[in-house]
Amino acid sequence: MSNVTLPRNLSSSSAAILAAVIDALRPRGHGFDQSIDEYVLLEIDRTLPCLPRLMRLGLPIGLRLLEWGPPLFAGRARRLTTLNRQEARAYLQGWLDSRMTARRLLVHGLRALVLLSFYQHPSVLDAMGVRWDRRLIETVRLRADTLDHAKYGYPR
Amino acid sequence: MAIPAEITAELGDRIPERRIAYPNTESGREARCDATLAADAVVVGSGAGGAVAACLLAEAGLDVLILEEGSLHRTESFSTSVLEMMRALYRDFGASMILGTPGILFAEGRCVGGSTVINGGMCWRTPERILERWRRDERLPDIGSKEMEPVFAEVERELNPETQAPDTLGVHNRLFAEGARKLGWHPRDNLRNMRRCAGLNNCAFGCPTGAKQSSLVTYVPRGLRAGARLVADARVDRVVFSGAQAIGVCGRFLDADSRPSHRFQVRAPMTILAAGARHTPGILKRSRLRAHAIGRHLTVHPNAKVVGIFEEVVNPWWGTHQAHQIHDFLDQGILIGYAVPPPGILAGALPGIGEESAAIMSLYNHMFPVGCLIEDTSTGRVVLGPDRQPQMLYSLSRRDTETTQEGVAKVCELLFAAGAKRCLLPFADLAEIRSPDDVGRIRARRPEPRGIELMTVHIMGSARMALESSRGATDAFGRVFDVSGLYVADASLLPSPVGVNPQETIAALVTRNARRWLESDARRPGRSRARAS
Repeated sequence: MSNVTLPRNLSSSSAAILAAVIDALRPRGHGFDQSIDEYVLLEIDRTLPCLPRLMRLGLPIGLRLLEWGPPLFAGRARRLTTLNRQEARAYLQGWLDSRMTARRLLVHGLRALVLLSFYQHPSVLDAMGVRWDRRLIETVRLRADTLDHAKYGYPR
Repeated sequence: MAIPAEITAELGDRIPERRIAYPNTESGREARCDATLAADAVVVGSGAGGAVAACLLAEAGLDVLILEEGSLHRTESFSTSVLEMMRALYRDFGASMILGTPGILFAEGRCVGGSTVINGGMCWRTPERILERWRRDERLPDIGSKEMEPVFAEVERELNPETQAPDTLGVHNRLFAEGARKLGWHPRDNLRNMRRCAGLNNCAFGCPTGAKQSSLVTYVPRGLRAGARLVADARVDRVVFSGAQAIGVCGRFLDADSRPSHRFQVRAPMTILAAGARHTPGILKRSRLRAHAIGRHLTVHPNAKVVGIFEEVVNPWWGTHQAHQIHDFLDQGILIGYAVPPPGILAGALPGIGEESAAIMSLYNHMFPVGCLIEDTSTGRVVLGPDRQPQMLYSLSRRDTETTQEGVAKVCELLFAAGAKRCLLPFADLAEIRSPDDVGRIRARRPEPRGIELMTVHIMGSARMALESSRGATDAFGRVFDVSGLYVADASLLPSPVGVNPQETIAALVTRNARRWLESDARRPGRSRARAS
């Protein structure tokens, strides 16, 4: 039996386009080569219902525009999902630099979601030496040990 | 991550906020049919203003019903899992936009406790010059610093503003104060509503230690103990009227995916809107109130960020949230403070994709983000979009653009004085400077709002108090003009921006106003315990 978790909110075609976007945008090098693209995709899928209505409704359309956009915006008679990583990245950078606000905002929004999901993955935080989880335990314990109940009027 | 079970067991009951009871609480998720409810007062929203109003009215003996669109998330459910917390606690995942030039990112809470659950807990009294402006220019009564003193004191007894304990300060906290002192500025120990903060710096994602004294752990449970009832996951669509008398609200319960499910109607002689400066005017407009001032006078307290990059390791994740602020320039409309976002949030605000993003984020532990809050003179509007949801329109004026640039220049001066080697700027046309000598380039920048990256968590003024309906949507005590039984109790009330973080101002104004409502307006409560007893 497969353990693969499928996106709940994205259709399979939207998920395939988003996977290509993640592959192109995600950080690489400098200690950021973790194989977590599937995790990033699932996190974005989980986040989708929480996004502003316009973004939520517009994302599937935006993903299709990205998919079929290379002939129009990059002069290549191919779809995004068939471009190699360098080509896809250059293509998406073109959207980020576009003078058309809607194009720019779409890829800016996707970039923010990809980077947020990527950099908050526990293995990435660990590689960065960011130990917020350890601080959680330290500080909860510190407060419990040093809280002056009388001074603060507990129990309130 | 959440706190492991064995740690929770070890801590026992030594964290009081983890023991708070929320009696009289229901969730709209459990609704199985349409519902009609009744109360003496219905309060829409449970944040900085709504929770205060509900608590005070309940303690006065009224039967109070709080409706909150978000869910009840208790202290013990808070964790350092940023994505999970953002999905649970923020409206629209914190990705709302204020439309205009420039577009401004806006975040607010959507949970029991509202934005107080996800703010930094800054707790400053309204500056005297602002109170004086409201007294002199707006001619509002009982709002001078002398009249407000006991009101602030009352709010502070509940919220407990205090300064940060030294054992929770990290390198970045020290750098900020040192940089300011080198420039001859006066870093002030920040006042934050907390009881023994231990410095986790997870304020924006719920406080797992329980230290932050948000409405979730103060006014809401206090109001519930006084007999108020709370229905979470209940979204109000509009106010219901009988002639010019507001007689309650109607809306929809929300299911587990926040989709509207069954309908509800609440009958109440007092209807108090505290849904925030975006949604309160939205509800008023959807209720077909046509007063000119509803939704106007929106100010947004824009926030521009600079990221300083240091040679030394800063480890910005170690140390408390914003232990200091610079108030030296409040008269110029500039407040300087700092907030360290987790890597995933900060990365979205920095340039680059692929290797470029990786290269810059590999420096995260050398970074220190510092920002300036601008007391704006520009005003915008809240309007209803085609989907009947409120949208914010706002553009930065030339004067505020200049103030923003001056604020950013001052932040860079502070960061360089603290030892930064580079400053990443919020300008598309001037992305970085590498020396204090370059700060002049910021001041020389053409004051063009396009291309400035701004965000805000402080919108206000969209149903402001005034003496005449031509100048505001509510009277001097938050009663909506031209109708009876309808009140506003959130940041919408503020007649002008306050220059500092507004939580205490909101709580104090609502305290002031609620006392007045009780004295003059509250009807003989039909179902109140006061009469029943």
